[in-house]
Amino acid sequence: MAEPEPLIGIDLGTTNSIVATVQDGQPVVIKNRTGQGLTPSVIAMAKNGKRLVGGIAKRQAITNPQETVYAAKRLIGRKFSSHEVQDALRSLPYEVIAGQHDDLRIRMGGKDLSVPEISAMILQELKTDAEAHFGRPVSKAVITVPAYFNDAQRQATKDAGRIAGLDVLRIINEPTAAALAYGFGRTVNGRVAVLDLGGGTFDVSVLEISQGVFDVVGTGGDTYLGGEDWDNRIIEWLVFGFAKEHGIDLRKDRMALQRLKDAAEKAKVELSSVKEAALNLPFICTPPGGGAALHLQSTLSRDKLDDLTSDLAERVVGITTEVLGEAGVRASELKEVILVGGMSRMPKIVEAVRGYFRREPCKGVHPDEVVALGAAIQAYALVQPEHELLLLDVTPQSLGVAIAGGSVRRLIPKNTTVPTSATEVFATSKDFQRVVKIMVLQGEHDLAHQNELLGEFVLTGLREAPRGQVEIDVTFDINAEGIVSVHAKDRETGLRQSITVTASSGLTEEELQRIMDEQREYLLAARASDELKTRRVELDSLARDVVDALTRARLLPGGGGLAPDVMPRAEQVLEHARAVRAGEDVAALARACELLTGCLTQLKGPSARDGR
Amino acid sequence: MSTQRANQLIEAGLWLRLSGDSQGAQRLFERALELDPSNTRAREYLAAAAGSPSRGTSSPFERPPESEPLPGHLKPTAAGLPMAPVLEGDWGAWADGQGGPHESGNTAASTPVVLPVASDGAPADVMELLARDVDLDFEEPVVTPSGDTDEYGVPEGTTQEFGLPAAESELDLLLRGAADLLELDDHSGAVDLLFKAKELAPTDSRVEALRVRSEQMLMSRLENKLGDLGRVPEVRLQPDDIIWLNLDHRAGFVLAQIDGTVSYEDLFSLSGMTRLDTARILAQLIDEGVIAPG
Repeated sequence: MAEPEPLIGIDLGTTNSIVATVQDGQPVVIKNRTGQGLTPSVIAMAKNGKRLVGGIAKRQAITNPQETVYAAKRLIGRKFSSHEVQDALRSLPYEVIAGQHDDLRIRMGGKDLSVPEISAMILQELKTDAEAHFGRPVSKAVITVPAYFNDAQRQATKDAGRIAGLDVLRIINEPTAAALAYGFGRTVNGRVAVLDLGGGTFDVSVLEISQGVFDVVGTGGDTYLGGEDWDNRIIEWLVFGFAKEHGIDLRKDRMALQRLKDAAEKAKVELSSVKEAALNLPFICTPPGGGAALHLQSTLSRDKLDDLTSDLAERVVGITTEVLGEAGVRASELKEVILVGGMSRMPKIVEAVRGYFRREPCKGVHPDEVVALGAAIQAYALVQPEHELLLLDVTPQSLGVAIAGGSVRRLIPKNTTVPTSATEVFATSKDFQRVVKIMVLQGEHDLAHQNELLGEFVLTGLREAPRGQVEIDVTFDINAEGIVSVHAKDRETGLRQSITVTASSGLTEEELQRIMDEQREYLLAARASDELKTRRVELDSLARDVVDALTRARLLPGGGGLAPDVMPRAEQVLEHARAVRAGEDVAALARACELLTGCLTQLKGPSARDGR
Repeated sequence: MSTQRANQLIEAGLWLRLSGDSQGAQRLFERALELDPSNTRAREYLAAAAGSPSRGTSSPFERPPESEPLPGHLKPTAAGLPMAPVLEGDWGAWADGQGGPHESGNTAASTPVVLPVASDGAPADVMELLARDVDLDFEEPVVTPSGDTDEYGVPEGTTQEFGLPAAESELDLLLRGAADLLELDDHSGAVDLLFKAKELAPTDSRVEALRVRSEQMLMSRLENKLGDLGRVPEVRLQPDDIIWLNLDHRAGFVLAQIDGTVSYEDLFSLSGMTRLDTARILAQLIDEGVIAPG
């Protein structure tokens, strides 16, 4: 029987991404090709024109800031004019421009790329890692997103998956995935808090788990609080110390700053397991005016780090209090508190959370991996009908219409299982109103303008009557694919209007197809280029050996006993190899390699026989 | 004449040594000694240079001993040519001359650089330039450089004394120097001079052509030294030993990236420097035994 197709779960993070799978019934993280579990969510176009993904892109982020894209997740599925994007633009060193439909494009390597394209490059990298792990193609995945992502953001994430050549089986919430990974789908009924402190964001979610159904009852956080803030404090401390000693501001030198950033992150990670970390950065800078390069050598203790970042730990507690308050949940009501994200390894954070909840938080050995593991578990469950854990596809946010006074009337609450339908009767709000505008909104805010406008349409020709006397039926339908249809019908006249809203990432189907074609071509070209490079290296190596063997043979009396045609033949083959090498024909290169190998065998023949 | 020429070569060698190109210096001292075997300075400097780190292993592409070509095969295109550049995929001068494609129709790549002829009719070279530099320094010990033309102690606007227009003469001198160094197989020194020439005459096609050629040659040599660029280099020294090296911050940056996971090709991408600069640093780190090629 053929092996079932491998399935993967992907945690597509703001700072780092991870891919996992279920193997022999156990969820496991798939390490990337450099042996790391985490792949930085960073893409870059190096100065030599090479596309870099992951760790290598991160390592040149400061020295090549305009061509390095990170934190694309903050932008995915958003409109250019949204305040989230405008806020993000203030801190992003790469260029972001408006697209044609108020979507956004990122300029990298002279091209304007959509955000799903950027995210697709990360997904593609993870897919390739998974394929290297399984030794065969991988095409099906479950991807996680923050609980607060709206339809457009989820759709954009799905589109990114499609561009990367993945069939996205399901998009699930990150806290849900974390709870799944801890096995809470089976063991806990009740409320669970998930605190996810990652590299760049802090998300707090409260889940209501009941018989395997995960309901997000509250979510919030700070999209600008994460491990990088801790790194920055360490960098500031190092820079200050160096300036005091040498009178030089290292932040002005990009190479020095890149090294400081790498060293700060390393020290922070070390300090979660040891009390002191040494920071040695030899030749960090050359003094102005010349002279020997200076070294930075320092030791950072855990106490000092806690001291430098005490306000950040307080912010974690403050935000948690706020989110629980908004969700109307008391800390004492919670069955479990789950810590997720690499930063939750930090003893100070564990201590702060323990102090706030007055209980030991639940944290695994690898808190940064649990979301991906949960996604892998869900992917596995989707194709194993006998498996109990099957998350239902639900609406991530409430759907409704704007009503008089600028507020919202919700017809379909969030977490409603799809497909679903709901109808409500509305009345005119003004005397002799002939026209009514139906604005379809998504979100949880009571004020209409604070929600996402999915679409709008107008129902005209209403009977003239005092307000409240003309009744209109408004019906919301969501099919299994998540497509929302809204109908409005004048009850008396039967006049009707409707709109169909398909979640959009900002890319049209044509654009998506074009991007997917381009991506395929890029991958084919990259593969061909790799093969070409490998063949050329092989050809060079063989040619050197042939040249050496030929030289030796020439020095031996009588050509070392070689048949008379061996040397001329070798020369011809070398000439042919040289001509082929200049081209890009992989097959011809392979043939030239074969010919060179043949020559080498003949040239070495007599020597080998003589034992020389 | 030979003595004078030898002395010029020694001065040039000292200049190269000061600028960190000890291999180039050693070659110049050797040449000076060939011209003037009794020159004690050349012998002393050469002895001192021989005590310095080795020039590294020879390339597998170096020209093998000359032998008679087989009848019916191509003869070397020009017996007197300088050693062919080790370009990527160039499997040596020998292969070039005997087994390789016929190059006679493509003289551009193998034509030696033509040296401009000085006013006295003899080929001028970088040594002449440097000799003038020394003279001027003695005559005018206090010279504050105020522009590119002061680089060699030639005050701006005074180059007329050499019978050439100011900008032209300096450019020509640099080109001449670069050509000389290329003849001496010192591509590194040539690239440095051409970089200065490029600053002086950004659109000059001669500069560009020579620069491209010398950079390609230098890059090929450096890459040859690094070997397979997919290999992952490793640091050989302990942190306590590293701090005693004589590196600049750029070499420090490249060294910091070598952690046993990144290949040479990766280092080219993440260094943020030109490929040539990165290759030079990597070659330097290998030469000094700081990193193992992997």
